[in-house]
Amino acid sequence: MSKIQMFEKPLGMRDSFPDVNEQKEYIRSTARDFIKRKGYDFIKTPSVEYFETIGKASAIDESALFKLVDNQGEMLVLRPDMTTPIARIAASKLLKEKNPLRLAYYADVFRAQQREGGRPAEFEQLGLELVGDFSPYADSEIIYTAIELLKALGVESFRITIGHAEILSAFLTNNTDSTEQVEMLRQLLVEKNLVGFSQMLDSMDLLEEQKERLIKIIDYTNNSNVFSDFRHFLKDNQQYLIDQVEELQNLLEFQLNDFSIISFDFSLASHMSYYTGMLFEIHAAGSGFSIGNGGRYDELFKQFNESVGATGFGIRVDRLLEVLPKQLTKEKRTLLLFDKGSFSKANVLAEARRNTSEYVTLQYAESVSDIEAFKQIFDEVIIVSEGGSFRE
Amino acid sequence: MKLLLCPKVVLSVNELTIAMPKGRIFEEAYKLFVQAGFNLPAEISDSRKLIVEAPDERIQFILAKPMDVPVYVEHGVADIGIAGKDVLLEQHRDVHELLDLHISNCYIATAGLPNTTMNDIAPRVATKYPRIATNFYKEKGEQVEIIELNGSIELAPMIGLADRIVDIVSTGQTLKENGLVEYEKIVPISSRLIVNPVSYRVKSERINAFIAQLKNELNKR
Repeated sequence: MSKIQMFEKPLGMRDSFPDVNEQKEYIRSTARDFIKRKGYDFIKTPSVEYFETIGKASAIDESALFKLVDNQGEMLVLRPDMTTPIARIAASKLLKEKNPLRLAYYADVFRAQQREGGRPAEFEQLGLELVGDFSPYADSEIIYTAIELLKALGVESFRITIGHAEILSAFLTNNTDSTEQVEMLRQLLVEKNLVGFSQMLDSMDLLEEQKERLIKIIDYTNNSNVFSDFRHFLKDNQQYLIDQVEELQNLLEFQLNDFSIISFDFSLASHMSYYTGMLFEIHAAGSGFSIGNGGRYDELFKQFNESVGATGFGIRVDRLLEVLPKQLTKEKRTLLLFDKGSFSKANVLAEARRNTSEYVTLQYAESVSDIEAFKQIFDEVIIVSEGGSFRE
Repeated sequence: MKLLLCPKVVLSVNELTIAMPKGRIFEEAYKLFVQAGFNLPAEISDSRKLIVEAPDERIQFILAKPMDVPVYVEHGVADIGIAGKDVLLEQHRDVHELLDLHISNCYIATAGLPNTTMNDIAPRVATKYPRIATNFYKEKGEQVEIIELNGSIELAPMIGLADRIVDIVSTGQTLKENGLVEYEKIVPISSRLIVNPVSYRVKSERINAFIAQLKNELNKR
């Protein structure tokens, strides 16, 4: 490794400059307001957790974890996601007080980046978790809230793609001979490598009819009338899965004015391996990357010895910034320049102005090296002197 | 209160931007598009323009270096791209690989001087594809030093820089002319249609129609 440069930061770490920070603050406050109205409570968890617990339970790949060692020699991780710590808190304490439980977070998560230097390794995530409810009502609440939240934040053009982890694995299992084959095919669907998927089928030792059925799943993408067709691919004791999705669709159709932003795609698979039921991804025009995703993850609670239903979503704030119109309402900023004799007078004036919710900077004039450049930054400049104060 | 509005790229759901690799693959892919029935300008290959419009189809072509096509698509400045599987394997970009266009067929192989073995002490492999080469030898459990070159890979064994090269082979003519022989085939290569994950969802109708039309032509072949 080359020598660390003076202004260099660790790989993937970023400063948020005042403008960007303001925008994030806007997202945070708007989202917070909206989410609290939906009956969710915000929560914070430690930045650092044990690798043994959160690190292993998290769906984030181990190579993306930031690891540290504490003074006892225990391996720690910077939290790579919020869902796992929330599952821990819910299982250990909060579910006993309130069940079902609705929790929300706005927090930094850390994932080490392997590729090109500039990609963020620390980013804010905004999300909800609804714990203690197995029903489709919970699933539709989560998806609907995600949609409403994006609208409240001002995201104009976005799409939600809904899949179902259990339907996909039932379908793959029904048509293959081993779990290795299921895993290989599922992995190709995660990458959406359809060329690889059909090549893999060619190389697998399967019946022709199995192959034909499997190839169909990659043709069924983006077709919302797939439910009835898909029933043929599932066994009798798996039909209830389709019922679930149909119910979810009905609930969402009831809630949404414009259903066209939603599409169902049973080939949708996530790299987050803990999803067990419906899962969804959010894509918005303006960013080349998915801005968020969510789903049902009942399985995760088994790691904390609980059997509860849980569903939720997370949105990446940095990606959200890309798709939002760069809108920033700025408060009026005033500069009060004082000299030696006018300090107390300037103080009185500043207080008075701050009370009318102006942003007032109080500055001793002599200390500013380039006074003209400094004045340019403010909307209004007032020079306070013993003789009187005047506006520039 | 001031409201600051910055210009935002307006993404029309009906416009498609396609990143195409310059050179031989471009010719073949363009011909495929025309045969599939897309109404494209007749002669664009000889122009030096980097952006070419096909207004009848509401398509915009970006002409890029083959290695850069997946970059454009991953970042979403192009919805679709045509890229060689070699480039995709080497770069591991976050793009959807939806269609094998079955053009520019070739493969990646190891080659070297005839009747030679790898040096026991310091086995060296020269390549334009360090990642593919590393993975190949890793899977075999051989420890080799990978030397990355940008072109004229065949030179490496001839002048003693490396024992083997990992390179793309189409007819084997270049190897033969330089007195090299092929040792192991690594992976077959052809051109693929890749799509940005967000475009794939946000412009799904348009992109699916585009793919269906291409598939239709490919099935005839």
